[in-house]
Amino acid sequence: MSLVWLLVIPLLGGALAWPLGRAYPLLARIVCLAALGLDLGICLPLLHGTLAAPGNWLAGFNAPWIPAFGMSFRLKMDGMSWLLTVLTLILGMFSIVVSWKEIEDGVGFFHANLMWSLAGTIGVFIALDMFLFFYFWELMLVPMYFVIAIWGHENRRRAAIKFFLFTQGSGLLILISILALAFFHQRQTGVLSFDYFALLQTPPPGAFGFLVMLGLFIAFVVKLAGFPVHIWLPETHTEAPTAGSVILASILLKTGAYGLLRFVVPLAPQAAHGIAPVALWLGVASIFYGAVLAYGQSDFKKLIAYTSISHMGFILIGVFVFNTLAWQGVVFLLIAHGVSTGALFIIVGSVQHRLHTRDLDRMGGMWTDLPKLSSFGTFFILAAMGLPGLGNFVGEFLILRGTYAVAPVVAVAAAVGLIPAALYSLIAIQRAFHGPADAARAQPDFGARENAMMLLLAAAIIWLGVYPQPILDVTAPALQNLAAVPVTAMLR
Amino acid sequence: MIFWSAAPLLVLAGAVAVLLAAIAIRRSFFWSSAIAGAGLLGALAVIPSALQARGAAGLFVFDAASLGFAGLILAASLVILVIAYPYWRGCTKVPREEFPLLLLLATLGACALAGANNFITLFLGLETMTLAMIGMIAYPRYRGQAEEAGLKYLILSGMSSGFVLFGIGLIELGCGSLDFGRALAGGAGTPMMVAGLAMLGVGAGFKLSVVPFHFWVPDVYAGAPAPGGAYVAVVAKIAVLAVLLRVMALPGAGFSAGAVHAATAVAILSMLIGNLLALMQDNLKRVLGYSSIAHLGYLLVAILAEGAIAHVAVLFYLVTYAITMAGAFGVVAVLSDADAPRDMDRIADLRGMFWTRPGLAAVMTLMLLSLAGIPPAIGFIAKMYIMAAGIHTDLWVLIGTMVASSVIGLFYYLNIIIVMSLKPEAAGVVAGLSLPGRVTMAAVGFAVVGFGVAPQPLIALLRSVFG
Repeated sequence: MSLVWLLVIPLLGGALAWPLGRAYPLLARIVCLAALGLDLGICLPLLHGTLAAPGNWLAGFNAPWIPAFGMSFRLKMDGMSWLLTVLTLILGMFSIVVSWKEIEDGVGFFHANLMWSLAGTIGVFIALDMFLFFYFWELMLVPMYFVIAIWGHENRRRAAIKFFLFTQGSGLLILISILALAFFHQRQTGVLSFDYFALLQTPPPGAFGFLVMLGLFIAFVVKLAGFPVHIWLPETHTEAPTAGSVILASILLKTGAYGLLRFVVPLAPQAAHGIAPVALWLGVASIFYGAVLAYGQSDFKKLIAYTSISHMGFILIGVFVFNTLAWQGVVFLLIAHGVSTGALFIIVGSVQHRLHTRDLDRMGGMWTDLPKLSSFGTFFILAAMGLPGLGNFVGEFLILRGTYAVAPVVAVAAAVGLIPAALYSLIAIQRAFHGPADAARAQPDFGARENAMMLLLAAAIIWLGVYPQPILDVTAPALQNLAAVPVTAMLR
Repeated sequence: MIFWSAAPLLVLAGAVAVLLAAIAIRRSFFWSSAIAGAGLLGALAVIPSALQARGAAGLFVFDAASLGFAGLILAASLVILVIAYPYWRGCTKVPREEFPLLLLLATLGACALAGANNFITLFLGLETMTLAMIGMIAYPRYRGQAEEAGLKYLILSGMSSGFVLFGIGLIELGCGSLDFGRALAGGAGTPMMVAGLAMLGVGAGFKLSVVPFHFWVPDVYAGAPAPGGAYVAVVAKIAVLAVLLRVMALPGAGFSAGAVHAATAVAILSMLIGNLLALMQDNLKRVLGYSSIAHLGYLLVAILAEGAIAHVAVLFYLVTYAITMAGAFGVVAVLSDADAPRDMDRIADLRGMFWTRPGLAAVMTLMLLSLAGIPPAIGFIAKMYIMAAGIHTDLWVLIGTMVASSVIGLFYYLNIIIVMSLKPEAAGVVAGLSLPGRVTMAAVGFAVVGFGVAPQPLIALLRSVFG
C-alpha cells in the first residue's frame, strides 16, 4: 500500500498547489516540498522491507485495474527502483527549491505540473504491469511539456513540441510492442495478461521477438538520448527552465536506461543479445558525438546537455554487455550523473539568472566576481568528467571493467572517449570562470539557499565517489532479478 | 411488448408534438429547452425497460444493439442541448425556440435510424435527421457563413441521399425485398446487389465524412453555430454507424474481399489526409472537422479488425469520440455568443486562456489530449483498444498508418494547447461563464479523466448492453 501512497501524495500535492498558487504562491511551494518530503519519508524505510520469493523485492501492491484486458495495478519495488525513486524525490525537492526565485508567474500551475511529472516518473520506476508502466510513461510527458512550453526560454515552443513528438512517437512503438507481447502470451497460454512476470515466461522467438524488442529498444534509446535519436535533447534541455532541465537530465533520461534494463533485456533476451553489437557501437558513437559537440558549444547550457549524451553512451554500453558488474556500474552512473548534472544545471540556471546570458563568450572571469558559484561549478564539471574520488568515476569504471571482460575493443574505444571529455570539461571551466571578465558585474554570489543545495549535492557526489559500497549492496540483489539471462560469450 | 420496446421512439415523438404545441401557445426559450430536455431524459429513462421487452416489428428492430446506440444518441443529444442553452440564451436576432425543436426532431430521426430494420425506415430516419440538421446548421441566418454551410450541407446531403435511394432501388430490384435480413440473405453476390451496396456505401461515406467524401466537413463545421456543429459531428455519425454496424452483423453481410481493400484504402487515406489538412488550419472548428475525418479513419481500423476485442473497441471509441467532440465544441460554444457575427472559433481567440479561464482551459486541454490519445484522458484507452484490435488480427499496415498519423496529429493538438498557454494580449474584462455551461464542461472533463483512469466500468457497461 505504501507504494500507492508514493504515487498519490505527489499527485494530490500538485492538485492542491494549483489553486493555492494563485493567492498564496509561497504556500504552494511549501505544500509541494512537504509532499515530496513525506514521500521520501515513506520511501526510505521501504529499503528494509522484504517480499516473499521469487526474486529480491522490497515491497509490492496488486489490484485489478482493467480486467477486460488482464491489466492490473501491479506495483513492485526492488533495490534499483528504490534508488531511482529516492533520486527522483530528492532531485524533485531540489527543483522546487531552485524555482523559488526563478518562477514568478503561474506558480501554482508550474508546481502542479512538476509534481505530476514526478509522480509519473515514480510510477514508471515501480509499475510492473506493462500497460500500467506505459500509462505512467505517457503520463510524465504532458506536464513536462507544459513546464517547457510555458516557462522555458526563447525557443520554448519549438523545443517543447520536439520533445513531445519524439517521446510520444516512440512511445507508440512501446505500446505496439507491449500489445504484441501480450497477445503472443495469450496465444501461448490462453490468458491475456500484461503482467511483467507472466510475460517473462513466454519470451518471443525469432524475427517476431526481434521486432518486439526493437520497438522497445528504439523508444528507450530515444528517451536515453543515444546517438542518432538524441536530436530532441540539446534543444529541450537548453530551453527548459532550470527545474525542468534538472528533472529532464537527472530523472527522465534515467527512465530510458531503466526500461532497457528492466524490460528489453529480460523480456526478449535472445533478441537483446542479437542487437547488442549494434547497441555497443551506438554507445561508443554517443560518447564521442556528445563529447565533440559539447566541445564546440558556446552556450553553457547546451554544452552540459551534450555531455549528457556522452554519458548516456556509457549507460548504453553497460546495459548491453549483460554482466552484473557493468549493470552495477549502470545503476551507479545513473545516480551519480543525476546528482552531478542536476547540480550543473542549477549552476547554469543561476548564472543565467545573474548575467542574463548562457553564452560562454560573454562570461569569463567569473571567479573574481562570483567565487562560490565558480568553485562549485568547477567541482561539478570535474565530477561529471569522471575525476577519481567522485561519483561518476566509480560508475564509469565499473562499466568499463564489465565491458572489458566481454568486449575489450568496445571498452578501449569507450575509454578513449574520456579524453575528449577532459577537453570539453577543462575548456568549459576555462571559458566560464577564468580569464578576463567580459564586463564589470555587480551580482550577488550564492546565498544561503544556493550554498546549502550545492553543499548537499557536493557531499553526495563525494560520498558516492569514496564509499560506493552501500549503493552497490542495494543494487546487487536487485540485479539478480534481471540475471535470469545467462551471460553469453557471443559478444567476443 | 413491442409497444414497450419502442417506448424511446414514442416518447421522443410525443415530446416533439408537445414542444410544437408549446411554441404555438407561448414562445419561451427556457420552456422550449426544458421540454426538449425532458423528452430526451424521458426517452433515456425508458431504455432499460425497453431493453427488458425487446422486439422486432418488421420495420424496426429494438434489440440490445439498437437500443444501446439509441441511448448513446440520446445522451449525446442531451449534452449538446445543455451546451446550446447558454449559447442561444442571449440571442435577439432570431427567435430561438425552434432550435431545441430541431434538435429533438433530429434525435428522433437518429434513433429511428439506429433501430431501422428496413430500407424504408432507414431512409425515413436518415432524412428526418438530415433535414432537421440543415435547420440547425443555418439557424443563425444573419451569419453569411452559416447560410453558406446550410446550403452546402443541403446540396451535398441531397446528393448522398440520392445515392442511398438509388442503391435501395437496385437492391429491391435485385432481391425483391426491402427488409435488411431478407435482402442480404436473398441476393448476396448478384451484380444488382453489389451495385446497390456500393451506392449505399457512397452515401454512408458522405454522412461519415471519410476520404474521399469529406470535402463538405470543414466548411459545414466552421459555418454552423457551435452546438449545431457539435450535433453534426457527433450524433449524426453515431446514428449512421449504428445502422451500419447492425447491418454488418447480420448473416450474409460482412465485407467481401474487394470491400475490405476499399475500406482499408479509405481508412488509410482518412487517417493521413484528415490529420495532414488539420495542420494547416487556423480555425478551431475546421481543425475539429479534419480531426473527425481522421478519427473516423481510426474507427474503420477497428471495424475492419473483426473479433470480440474489435467489437468492443468500436463501441468504446465511439463513446470516446462522442464525449470528446461534444466537449471540444462545447468549449467553443460556452465562449461564444450567438449574436456575434462569428463564433469564438479561431485558434487565436483561445490565446491566454490558461491565465484568464484556467478551468475551461484545463477542460479544453483534456479534450485535446483525448483526441490525441494521451493519458490520463479516455482517448488514450480508446486508441489502445483499437491498436489491440488491429494487432490481434495482424492489420500491421493499418496500425503503422495509425501510429504515423497520430504523431502528425500531435502537432496541431499541441499547437492549440500552446496558444492557450501564451500570455493574453490585452488584459480585458473576462465575462463569467453561465452556470449550466460550467457544470456541463466540468462534467465532460470529469468523464474524460474518470473513464481514462478507470475504463473498466465503461467497458463492462458496453459489454453488458451490446452483448
